[in-house]
Amino acid sequence: MSSSKRITKELSDMGRDPPTSCSAGPVGDDLYHWQASIMGPPDSPYAGGVFFLSIHFPTDYPFKPPKISFTTKIYHPNINANGNICLDILKDQWSPALTLSKVLLSICSLLTDANPDDPLVPEIAHIYKTDRPKYEATAREWTKKYAV
Amino acid sequence: MNQLALNTKDFKTTKIPKLQEIDTLLRCHICKDFLKVPVLTPCSHTFCSLCIREYLKDNSKCPLCLNELRESMLRSEFLVNEIVQSYQSLRSDLLECLKIEPRSTETSIIELESEPDDLEIKGSSKALFNISTDDDLQIVGTNERPRKRLASTTFIGKANKSNTYKRPSSFQSVLKGSTDRKNKQPQAQCPICQEAFPIQVLERSHLDECLTLQSLGKPPKLTVKKSTPPLRTLSSSSSSVDAGFRMSKKYMEKEDEVSHTERYLNSTLQSNHQRLPKVDFTAMTLNQTKQKLSSLGLSTAGTKQNMIVRYSHFEILWNSNFCDSLDPVDEGELRRQLISWEASHNTQTANNNNTNSIIAKMKIKSTNRDSTYEKLLVDFKKDTFNRRAWIVLFKKDFKRLIKEAKEKLKSSTTTSNDKNTQPSLELIENKPVIVDELTDTDLSKEIEEHLQNKEMQAFKEPSTSTQNE
Repeated sequence: MSSSKRITKELSDMGRDPPTSCSAGPVGDDLYHWQASIMGPPDSPYAGGVFFLSIHFPTDYPFKPPKISFTTKIYHPNINANGNICLDILKDQWSPALTLSKVLLSICSLLTDANPDDPLVPEIAHIYKTDRPKYEATAREWTKKYAV
Repeated sequence: MNQLALNTKDFKTTKIPKLQEIDTLLRCHICKDFLKVPVLTPCSHTFCSLCIREYLKDNSKCPLCLNELRESMLRSEFLVNEIVQSYQSLRSDLLECLKIEPRSTETSIIELESEPDDLEIKGSSKALFNISTDDDLQIVGTNERPRKRLASTTFIGKANKSNTYKRPSSFQSVLKGSTDRKNKQPQAQCPICQEAFPIQVLERSHLDECLTLQSLGKPPKLTVKKSTPPLRTLSSSSSSVDAGFRMSKKYMEKEDEVSHTERYLNSTLQSNHQRLPKVDFTAMTLNQTKQKLSSLGLSTAGTKQNMIVRYSHFEILWNSNFCDSLDPVDEGELRRQLISWEASHNTQTANNNNTNSIIAKMKIKSTNRDSTYEKLLVDFKKDTFNRRAWIVLFKKDFKRLIKEAKEKLKSSTTTSNDKNTQPSLELIENKPVIVDELTDTDLSKEIEEHLQNKEMQAFKEPSTSTQNE
């Protein structure tokens, strides 16, 4: 089974039945390099922002997870300054039954409900846990600054 | 089929959007294509044999429920195999039949007959009535055809209605036989007209019909076509109905070629081949590895690692073919598959290796530089500071800085000569590189000339600036 076939399939599914508040597609001719955008969930401090992500499919996809990172700066306990995302399904919990659209939806829900117990940026996680209003204010500010 | 298989949401825009569910269920969750040689896991999930075996090479859990799973636990699923194949064979016809046409011209009778969730039946019910009206027509006789035809049209109208409410068993069996392939009514070929029919229909009505026809010296197939006109006049039949009828006929013809039911009923795992075992290559020498591969007729080219990869993929192909597949191919074909897989796979890995090695080289270079840099930095402010090494290390940077500074100097001296003697504070703050030059132009010249063995005074500032970079 070739990875390109499966990626093509996902692309066609994306076009026919796009997941809510997300979109994704290849950059140029390279089927293995995609760009995606996520709308900040309305019930989160990221509301109103549009966040861009870059996606790299490995050649042995779907046996290995896609590499996904934020290209838009975002203030989040599980996303660091380089845009790396700390999400279990992108690492050891990956399953070939998952699709990119499911992963994007998971990232959306990560924006709504951060996971401060397994942080990538401990400082933000600390503020998230101790001073929630401050975290939300900063997140809103960053969203306004970088994602609008 | 490939092109079709891509369109996973095809049925969403048909008359029965719920068929989407079946379309999705019959797909493998790894490749998202229709299940090819499906195998069942102990946790009751189904995948393509090749997909799941490839996945289990590096993992030992079910992709769907994450329960423990090993290759040896997989069991072939012949029924699903036949279901998928028969579904695939009629998928395009189904799509065609269920296409929503912009303006439907169907008559009231058809509307009466139609039920919200099995519109698909329409086509085949027409086919049935073609047959049953034939029955009447033929049994009565052939001379009075024109008159009878009129009579039969009214009869059809009634029959249609009554069928919607009562649904006699023979009617249903035809429906199942021709439309719902998943229920798989046992089918049999009529010895007279060579058409395949569900056994019940064949026994109850069709044999009689065919015999009568034969005795009358009529070719049985013709009558089916002949009886279409009355239907058309009755319902002013739209093209979709006609298409539906043709479709159902097509199914029957196809069924003749490959009966998936038969295949399923007669399916047995009749493999003369043993399952290929996992081999622990780490304990084997290169020669032993070569022997192992050549005993299977595989190429022994490349490194040991290449051979291991080759064997493990061949093992997947072999086990999938001889343990799971209903109609296995021979070893030669497997070897061909392996070669083509390797050809496509190796180009990818070669690329990866290339980029990896370049990155690795760059890393080595940079780490070397970093380590010498750090060593030098330790006694940067001491007397033991190795100035020569420092110069050599940053030779390029210094050269670049000097060049930049010179260019800037040129432009600045042309605009104002004063700055040469009296550098302003602002300038010092904003453009430190230029400041170096402005404060001592002669020095920079010196640096350039005697880069290797010059006094260190002049280097202090450019060197710290590179450090900041």
